[in-house]
Amino acid sequence: MEILLGLFYVLVFPGLLFCFAIGLLLLGIDRKIVARMQKRIGPPIIQPFYDFFKLMGKERIVPNKAAKKIYIIAPVIGLISIITIALFIPIDYFKTFFNNYADLVVIVYLLTIPSLAIIIGGASSGSPFGGVGASREVVLMLGYELPLVITLLAVGMKIGRLTNTAATFSLINIVDYQIKNGPAFLQWSLIPAALAFLMVIPCEIGSTPFDIADAETEICEGTMVEYGGILFGVYKLTQGIKIFVMISLFIAMFMSGIIPAVSSSIFVNSLVSIVWHMALVIVILFIAVSLLRATTARIRIEQAFKFYWTYPTALSLLSLVLVWAGL
Amino acid sequence: MKFPYAGNALKDFFSKPSTERYPKVKKEAPKGYRGKISYDPEKCIACGMCIRVCSPGAITMTKGEKNDEGQLIEMKFNLNSCTFCQMCADFCPRGAIKLTTQYSMIATDKNELVVSGSFIKKIPPKPTVKTVQQSKAKTEASGSK
Amino acid sequence: MFDDIITKSKVKSPWLYHLNTGSCNGCDIELISILTPRYDVERFGIKLTGTPRQADIVVVTGPLTSQSKDRALKVLSQVPDPKVVVSLGSCPMSGNVFKGSYSIEAPLDRFVDVDVSVAGCPPKPEAIIDGIIKAIEILKDKRG
Repeated sequence: MEILLGLFYVLVFPGLLFCFAIGLLLLGIDRKIVARMQKRIGPPIIQPFYDFFKLMGKERIVPNKAAKKIYIIAPVIGLISIITIALFIPIDYFKTFFNNYADLVVIVYLLTIPSLAIIIGGASSGSPFGGVGASREVVLMLGYELPLVITLLAVGMKIGRLTNTAATFSLINIVDYQIKNGPAFLQWSLIPAALAFLMVIPCEIGSTPFDIADAETEICEGTMVEYGGILFGVYKLTQGIKIFVMISLFIAMFMSGIIPAVSSSIFVNSLVSIVWHMALVIVILFIAVSLLRATTARIRIEQAFKFYWTYPTALSLLSLVLVWAGL
Repeated sequence: MKFPYAGNALKDFFSKPSTERYPKVKKEAPKGYRGKISYDPEKCIACGMCIRVCSPGAITMTKGEKNDEGQLIEMKFNLNSCTFCQMCADFCPRGAIKLTTQYSMIATDKNELVVSGSFIKKIPPKPTVKTVQQSKAKTEASGSK
Repeated sequence: MFDDIITKSKVKSPWLYHLNTGSCNGCDIELISILTPRYDVERFGIKLTGTPRQADIVVVTGPLTSQSKDRALKVLSQVPDPKVVVSLGSCPMSGNVFKGSYSIEAPLDRFVDVDVSVAGCPPKPEAIIDGIIKAIEILKDKRG
């Protein structure tokens, strides 16, 4: 029974099948929202599904100069690691036994792997554009990892202090605390950290002002320059799931427990919290990703790096200091 | 950090899209649009003026052999290399060439985009044979004027 | 059944690659204008890609100058099948006013199979949309 449930978790609900659907759906919703913000009609919401299946039917080309094994395996590793994170993030009342095995530190480690997959894939493609894109992605990673880690530290420390333990990095503890005592973004010392996290989201998923690594107009899609066919589809899927994972992580850390338990049964509570979670995901997608994508142009790499090491880092450090001072 | 268009984006999100649904709703080209060439061989006199003014050399005229009925003349307007400058229509003394407002010129085969027409140019009637006196008298008459 | 899904998806998501072979920029501007809010071909799922590896429809503009000929043919050969080549404007079809120049290699169909030609100098955006819809119809029957 335990094994069957585990398989269900891995393959169907928070795992593979659900991630496939929600990742592509969120990409489609994002494209639609951006189109409507620019007064266009935009593609249908299921457009990324068409793209994905079309890419499946395309000819598979592996360039001669590429390191073939790495070139093929890099996107798959990225996809697997991002689906693994999706298993580890609790959705309010919906918890799996996977949540007990992983905490924020593991998630931070796993979050770097899809970006690393992009870097390795781009560098192994044997194209100079891929090399340029890979170097840019490395710089971006250095940029946004710092505020991200400080934010997680601040949240862990705050919740740890409130529950009279040392800093806790267990997401399940953080969510449980919020379900009992209200969402964490109401703690005013955590508001700067939440803002910093919101600023990290567009860069982590590579959306427009920060899509410097795969800039199609300057460096021919950068790291993706040689990828076509299903391997590129896997990268797109990874990007979609990354949107879901990053926003889910934000909700788990700052906005859990907004709706109270509606009934005594865990199943109904989980169902309600999942629906509520999806609605919140779309709202945050609207604010943090689509609005930014529709109204800004791509910035240069050193601007992005400077931005991440000033505003979000300052905000998250402020939050950490406030928490450390016991406010 | 400024987001000058964030307000516009939010406003446009709730307003109607300004997209024209083109293939469903057909659209007329504006008046005076220079589109596909229409050629009327009935009016043409094969003066060759259009060929002289055509900068890409898109117009060709082939002349057939002369016989009693006249001369077969075929005009070909190759829209593959046309710049749609309307010079041929402007210079045509008889108004045989017109540029319509049909803008959609799609072809899977290049030869579909050639507008052609042919007509038989009547050879002017040969002057009837005149006697020497008659012609002499005529020249004298014209000389006296 | 899976093939049906792929065939349907192929029609619904054609990605464009814009290949400029020495064009005067007229056709390029008109091609980009079909992505603007007024014409918005993204409603057909069309997207402009930056790399030929992801393209389904290659739109060629320009009279194929001698400098760009080899590169253009290289780029066209990098596009994975199924692909459709659309020539936009008069230049790739005949060389337009440049024809006969020592530096012009037009017409394009001397070197590759051109599936759809859109005439005009430059074509109206509506004509380009018509041409791309025609190209999608051709793309449907092509096999990868």
